Amino acid sequence: MTFFAKFCIPFIIGETVLFTVLAIKYFTWLRDLPKKDWKLIITNFFSLRSISALGEVISESLLHRRIFKVNPRLGYMHMSLAFGWFLLIFVGFLETIAYLGLRWIPLQGHVFFKYFVPLNGISDHIPAFDFTMDLLLLFVLSGVAMAWFKRIRSRALGMKKTTKHTFFDRIALSALWFIFPLRLIAESVTTSMYGGGSFLTGSIGNALSNILSINTLTHIYEPAWWLYSLALGTFFIAMPFSRYMHIFTEIPLIFLRHYKLQPEAKEKSYDNFEVEACSRCGICIDPCQLQSQLGINDVQSVYFLRDRRYNMLQQKIANNCLMCGRCEQICPVGINLNTLRLNSRSSMRNIPHEGRYNYLRGVDKSFGAGKVGYFAGCMTLLTPNTLNAMRSIFEAAHEQVWWADKDGGVCCGRPLMLSGEVDSAQKMIDYNKSLFAKHQISTLVTSCPICLKVFREEYQLEGIEILHHSEYILRLIKQGRLKIGYQHDATFTYHDPCELGRGSGIYNEPRAVIEAVGKLLEPTHNRKNALCCGSSVANTAISDAQQLTIATKVASELEATGAQAIVTACPLCKKAITRGTQQRVVDLSEIVAQNIKQ
Amino acid sequence: MKHVIVIGGGVAGMQCASELLRQGLAVTIIEKEQDLGGKVRNWHKLFPTFTPADEVLSAMRHRLKISNNLKIRTGCQATTITANSVTLCSGEELKCDATVIATGFTLFDAQIKEEYGYGIYDNVITSAELEQMFNENNVHLAHGGTPKRIAILHCVGSRDEKVCQRHCSKVCCVTGVKQAIELKKLFPAADVFNFYMDIRMFGPGYEEMYREAQTAYNVHFVRGRISEVSPTFNSQLQIKAEDTLTGRPLKMSVDMLVLLIGMKSNEHNITLRNECNLLAQPSGFMQPQDSFIGNVTSNVDGIFYAGTITAPKNVGESINEGTAAARAVIEWLNKH
Repeated sequence: MTFFAKFCIPFIIGETVLFTVLAIKYFTWLRDLPKKDWKLIITNFFSLRSISALGEVISESLLHRRIFKVNPRLGYMHMSLAFGWFLLIFVGFLETIAYLGLRWIPLQGHVFFKYFVPLNGISDHIPAFDFTMDLLLLFVLSGVAMAWFKRIRSRALGMKKTTKHTFFDRIALSALWFIFPLRLIAESVTTSMYGGGSFLTGSIGNALSNILSINTLTHIYEPAWWLYSLALGTFFIAMPFSRYMHIFTEIPLIFLRHYKLQPEAKEKSYDNFEVEACSRCGICIDPCQLQSQLGINDVQSVYFLRDRRYNMLQQKIANNCLMCGRCEQICPVGINLNTLRLNSRSSMRNIPHEGRYNYLRGVDKSFGAGKVGYFAGCMTLLTPNTLNAMRSIFEAAHEQVWWADKDGGVCCGRPLMLSGEVDSAQKMIDYNKSLFAKHQISTLVTSCPICLKVFREEYQLEGIEILHHSEYILRLIKQGRLKIGYQHDATFTYHDPCELGRGSGIYNEPRAVIEAVGKLLEPTHNRKNALCCGSSVANTAISDAQQLTIATKVASELEATGAQAIVTACPLCKKAITRGTQQRVVDLSEIVAQNIKQ
Repeated sequence: MKHVIVIGGGVAGMQCASELLRQGLAVTIIEKEQDLGGKVRNWHKLFPTFTPADEVLSAMRHRLKISNNLKIRTGCQATTITANSVTLCSGEELKCDATVIATGFTLFDAQIKEEYGYGIYDNVITSAELEQMFNENNVHLAHGGTPKRIAILHCVGSRDEKVCQRHCSKVCCVTGVKQAIELKKLFPAADVFNFYMDIRMFGPGYEEMYREAQTAYNVHFVRGRISEVSPTFNSQLQIKAEDTLTGRPLKMSVDMLVLLIGMKSNEHNITLRNECNLLAQPSGFMQPQDSFIGNVTSNVDGIFYAGTITAPKNVGESINEGTAAARAVIEWLNKH
C-alpha cells in the first residue's frame, strides 16, 4: 500500500509548512535565550520538574482545567476540541497498528485511514474502534457546535465580549470549523459505500446509501476527501501565523516555566513563548475595567499580545493599562501579562538625558535613628491623615522610628518601573538602598503598597524585613504592644489595593486589623477579584475624567455594603475613591489610631 | 397676574425678583438658607473697591420692596423644576408661569486636597473662613497670637484636573490679592505670599489693585503651586512648592495658610440635567442657550438662568444677570 492519493496533496503541503515554520520558530527562540536561561534548562531538565511539567501539559493543553475553573461551558468547548482531537489522533494511531501492525506509515496514512483501508479490505474487523472513533468525533463536533454558537451569542457561553480576529485567525478559524464536519461527511460517504462505521458515520452512511444511488456516491466520494484534506491543509498553513500557534507553543512554555524561566523587566527571547502561547480566548476582556467602564476596546492583554506578536504595537496601546492584574489573575495560560507589558514599555521608552538624575547627589539631609524605618512614600505625604495616624501608632507602641522621607526623600522607583524606565528606576533604588544601609534599620515599614512591591521585588535588602503597615500594625496588636478598643457599632468595608492584593498577596492582614476595630462588610468584588480604583500610576493614557468614572463605579460598590466608612490600605486608592464618593474614605491606620486604648 | 418663581435668593435672585416686581408681576423667592443674600452674606468686603458686602446687600434688600406680590420661602429647597411648576423638598408643588434658576455655586471642599492639610493641621483655613474672621474682626492663629508669615494659595479646586475641576473660578485671583492687602493692613509687619499659577486680573481696577499690592503693601507673589504641607516641631506649617520662574523647589515655614477655594457646580445641577431636561456643561455648570445673546435663557422654554448657576462670576456680573433674566422673562411672558 502506497498511502498516497491526489487529494492528500493539500494536507501534505500543510503539514510540511506547519512543521517547518514551527521548527524555525522554536530553534531561533531557543538559540536566542540568554545564558542564564539555558543554565536553568540544563540544570532542571533531568529532574522531577520535567514530570510535573508533563502533568501540567495534560491538565492544561489537553483538558484546559483552568478555563473550566473560570467558566465550565467555555472549558468544555476548549477541552472537547483539544482533548477530543488528541484522542482521535491517538486512537486512530492504535487503530492503524491494530489493523496493519507496527510499521511506518506516512502521516496521511493515519489521518485518512478510512480512505486507504476501507472495511472490505480488512480481514478481522474490530467494531470497538468504529464505535470509539465515532464517539470521539461526536465529542469534537459538540465543541465545534459550541464554537459556532459562541460566535452568534457569546453570552450563552458566559462571555460578554469575544476577541476581534486577525486575517490569519479568520482563515484558520474557518478551516478549523469545517475540518470535523467535513471529516464526518467523508467518512460517512465511505461507509455508505464500503460499510463499517458505528452509530454516527455508520448510520449516516446507511442513510446516504438509501437516499443516493451508488453512482452519485461514487461521484461525491473523492471530492468529499478532497474537501477534508483542503480544510486540514489550510488550517495547518494558517496555524503558525494565527492564534492557533498556542496549541504547540503552550507545551514548551509549560516546560520552560517549570524550569523557572520567567519574563523580566527587559524583553528577551523567552517572551516569545509567552506571547505566542496566547490563544486569544478573550477571557481577559471581560474583567478589564477599561473595557467595562470606559468602553475602551483595543488595549486589553489579548490585543496587546497580538500587536506585540505581529510587531505592530503602539505606545498608546502599551501605555493604556492599569496593571491592576485582573486579567493576569484569570488568564488560563498563566501568561505574565503585566511583566510583558512592562518590558514592552521599556523597549519603547524615551531614553532620558544622562544628567537628569544628578540632583540625587545632595538630596540626603536625613537624620535620626531607629531600628524601624518608616518610608511614607510620596502618596502618603500627600495624604497627611495617614502620616498622623502612623505617628500616633508608633508613639503608642513606643517604637523608635526613623522617618525616612519626611523631610524630602527620593521616589521608591516603582512609578518609573511601571512606565518602563527601568534604568532610571535603578538610580532611585540605589539611592534608597544606601540610605537604608546608612541608617542601619532592621525593619522597613511603608504605608504605600506601590513602594512595598518594589522594595520586596527589586531592592534585595538583605537583613531588613519589609512590612506593609497593615502587617506591621497587626503584629503590634498580636504582640500586645498596641491595644485597640473594639467599636461594637462601627462598620467598615475594605477596598483591596491592586498592588497590595494581587500584587503582593496581602489580603488577610488588613482585614484582621479592621476586624480588631469594628465589623467588616465585604463588597461584591474582593480579594483576588477586587476592582481597581482607576487612578493607577501605571496608566498614563486615560484622562482624569475617565479615572473618575472608574472610581465612582468602585465607590458605588463599596457604598452598597452599607458600611459607615470605606477603608483602604493605599494612599493612591484613598485619593481615587475619595473623588468618587460622598462617603468617608479612610486609610487603615486612621481607624486604628482613632481607637487606640492607652 | 403672571407669577414667576425665582429659585435662589442670592444677589442674582434678589435683583431678578425686584425687577420682576417693578414690572408688576407676582414673585416667589425660594431660598434654602434662613435668610436672603447667598454667599455674599458671609463676605466681608468686595474687590476691587473694598466696599463692605453688607452695604451691597442692604441696598439689594432695600430694592426688594415688601409687597403683597412678593412671597419669600426660606429654609426650603427646590427639587424638580419645570416652566410652570417647582417641586419643593417637602413635596409641595408651586404653580407659576415661568421660573428663574439662580441657585449659584458650591464652595469647593478643601478636604479633598488632603495634601494641603485642611481639617488636619491648625491654621490652614479657607478664603471663606478668612472673610468670616474679617467680619468678626478676629483674625488670629488657632492657639492665639498673630501670624507673622502667611501664605495664600490660589487655584484650590480650580484648574485642577486631579479633582475634576478643570475650569477657572475667575474671582479667586482678585480675592487673593484683596485678602493679602487686608491682611497687610491688619498685620503690617507680616510677610504675605501669594502662590499662583497665573494672575488673572480681568476687571476694571483689578490690575491696578494687583500692582498696588506689590508697590504699596509689599505683598509677595510666587509663581508655583504648593505641593504639600506638613507641620513643623514648633507648630508652624512647612510648605513645599516650586518657584516656576526660577525653576527651583522651595520650602518655607508659615504661620497661616489660606486656601483660595474655587467655585464648584451644585450637586443639584445633576438633578436639573437628569430630571428637568436642562443641559449642563462638562464643568457641571448649566449650559445657557448661547454665550452672547441668550446667556440667561435655558434650553427649556420658560426656564431662565441668573448668576453663577451657569459659570463663575463676580458679584456685579451676577446682579446684572438678575436684571437681564427679569427682562428675558417678561419678554417671553408677553409673547405667550
